[in-house]
Amino acid sequence: MAAISARERVQRWAWGSERLREALVGYAFILVPMGVFLVFFIFPIGYAVYISRYEWGIFGKIDYVGWGNYRTLFHDEIFWRAVKNTAMFAVAVVALEVTLGLALAVVVNQTLRFRTFYRAGFYFPSIASSAAITAIFIYILSANGLLNSFLGLFGYHTSRPWFYDSSTALWSIVGLNGWATSGTIMLFYLAALQSISVEVYEAAAIDGARAWRTFWKVTFPLLRPAHFFVLVVAVIGALQIFDQAFIVAGADGGPNYSTMTVVLYLYNKAIASVQFGYAAAVGVVLFVGIFVITGVQRLLFGRPDVA
Amino acid sequence: MTEPPEVRGLPPVVAVDALASTGEAAIDAPVHGHIPGRERAEQIRTVVIYLVLTLIAILFAVPFLWSVLTSLKPLSETLSFTFLPKTWTVSAYHSVFTEFSFGRYTLNSVIIAAAVTVCNVFLASLGGYAFARLRFPGRELLFMLVLGTLMIPDQLRLVPVYQLLVNVLPKYLHVTLVPSRLGFILINLVSAASLFLMRQYFLTIPRDLEEAAKLDGAGYFKTFWRVMLPLAGPAVAAVTILTFQGTWNGLFWPLVIFQDSSLYTLPIGIARFHQVYTTLWPQLMAASVVALVPIVALYVLFQRYFVAGVAAAGVKG
Repeated sequence: MAAISARERVQRWAWGSERLREALVGYAFILVPMGVFLVFFIFPIGYAVYISRYEWGIFGKIDYVGWGNYRTLFHDEIFWRAVKNTAMFAVAVVALEVTLGLALAVVVNQTLRFRTFYRAGFYFPSIASSAAITAIFIYILSANGLLNSFLGLFGYHTSRPWFYDSSTALWSIVGLNGWATSGTIMLFYLAALQSISVEVYEAAAIDGARAWRTFWKVTFPLLRPAHFFVLVVAVIGALQIFDQAFIVAGADGGPNYSTMTVVLYLYNKAIASVQFGYAAAVGVVLFVGIFVITGVQRLLFGRPDVA
Repeated sequence: MTEPPEVRGLPPVVAVDALASTGEAAIDAPVHGHIPGRERAEQIRTVVIYLVLTLIAILFAVPFLWSVLTSLKPLSETLSFTFLPKTWTVSAYHSVFTEFSFGRYTLNSVIIAAAVTVCNVFLASLGGYAFARLRFPGRELLFMLVLGTLMIPDQLRLVPVYQLLVNVLPKYLHVTLVPSRLGFILINLVSAASLFLMRQYFLTIPRDLEEAAKLDGAGYFKTFWRVMLPLAGPAVAAVTILTFQGTWNGLFWPLVIFQDSSLYTLPIGIARFHQVYTTLWPQLMAASVVALVPIVALYVLFQRYFVAGVAAAGVKG
């Protein structure tokens, strides 16, 4: 038996066999995608590390510096400022978007009139142009913008340009980004909420639990798998903050580096300053950082999974 | 055909399966059973919920409403607060398209979004079909590799990909890739998310039809092109819409590759405009509305396909 099946296998792989034809066609069909992934995704990981060990200019390598770029980076005050800003941004924005996203999910999960309309509306900022949304917020948060006019109604008169005051700039981007991304979080939570069976709520209601209590004692713990998934996705997204910071302040992270984030710094070093080796080192450090933080989250919470 | 466990854990599967079966209905099931004797509590609850809902809805609607209203005002009315325009005018739109180059930026955005979308649909469906249906050694391993690319952040790729486009590839291809649309399209020919969506959908199509085509003597490409691709309509629609939306909105790579104002896309145009003309609010809002409108239209028409891409796209930074 074994001998026959082995021979069969050999025959099936022979020249001109259907099996060989199918395999060759399969490789042909995936050739271009695999080429793109290998050249522009897989290879760049190694190439980034390689470049990061050189002083590298616009025309290519200048000088081998070993770990020199990383050492310089370690003593680079602006880089640390960017790390600190990114960390503060990430903590604040994740808290904001997850809270808001969960609240939105719970609200639109109720039996409501026009429920689909609300859901669609809350998700819209997540798919809209970040440039357009940022421009709109820049206007709303400008010195005589809508926000300051609104605050004036309550007797708080200010002409603070929120994005251009170093004490409020980063927090304004937190608000903008949290607002814009909470719709995505809402959808994740909504999927998880839908998977909780009605019987669980009925049991809680029969026990006489109030809505607020039911939420904290029943719903929230049952959303555990969704919490972990949402946290991982939100943290990865937050650490890569770029668009809003760039549009608000350009590549300089102004005012006074208060909006300088790690990715903005990387872009700045690569495209504006043409220090490619140094920029590559920033990229590698960011990648390792994201990798470690995601790993720690997995260790703490187990495998992230959407329910 | 059983899925490798790593694939099954990923959220896009959930989304695609929902898309394949019921679309919106998948997240639209009834929620609470009615419990008798609790009408009063129910009433209070309903009032609270509608109150919260209204506040949130205002929070989400006002920025968009405000941008549209402002874009219809003359500049003089933005100096002090007026909610509705006293003089309704489209001069800001006229201005961004004639005095400033937003006509060109819009055209540039359309060109790259259309090109990248066409490439993604063709290459992702062809590759997705191969990964779902054709048997070849190393298939699962290669597919894992494809999924792995989703975890590589763009920022790590910035310097090496830029170097490839500026210094390495032009030597072999004898073309300029930066600044050039070609360079941008080349690195965006196909995304792992598109390929993944297509493969998952092809896995749900029954084999019978395909086998009927084979019995009729159709080759692999013809079977794919004439039989399988027409059956994958919803997945093609999802990839089309998500790719178009992603490319239309993208800022990071266009900023890196289009370092020439004749190639600027709308998002770059908006960023630069704001940085130069800090207080031309009606124009800035008009440009923003121009960038938002196509996405609004797509969203209104094809809402359910956007949901399929939630996990694939992740949370934007």
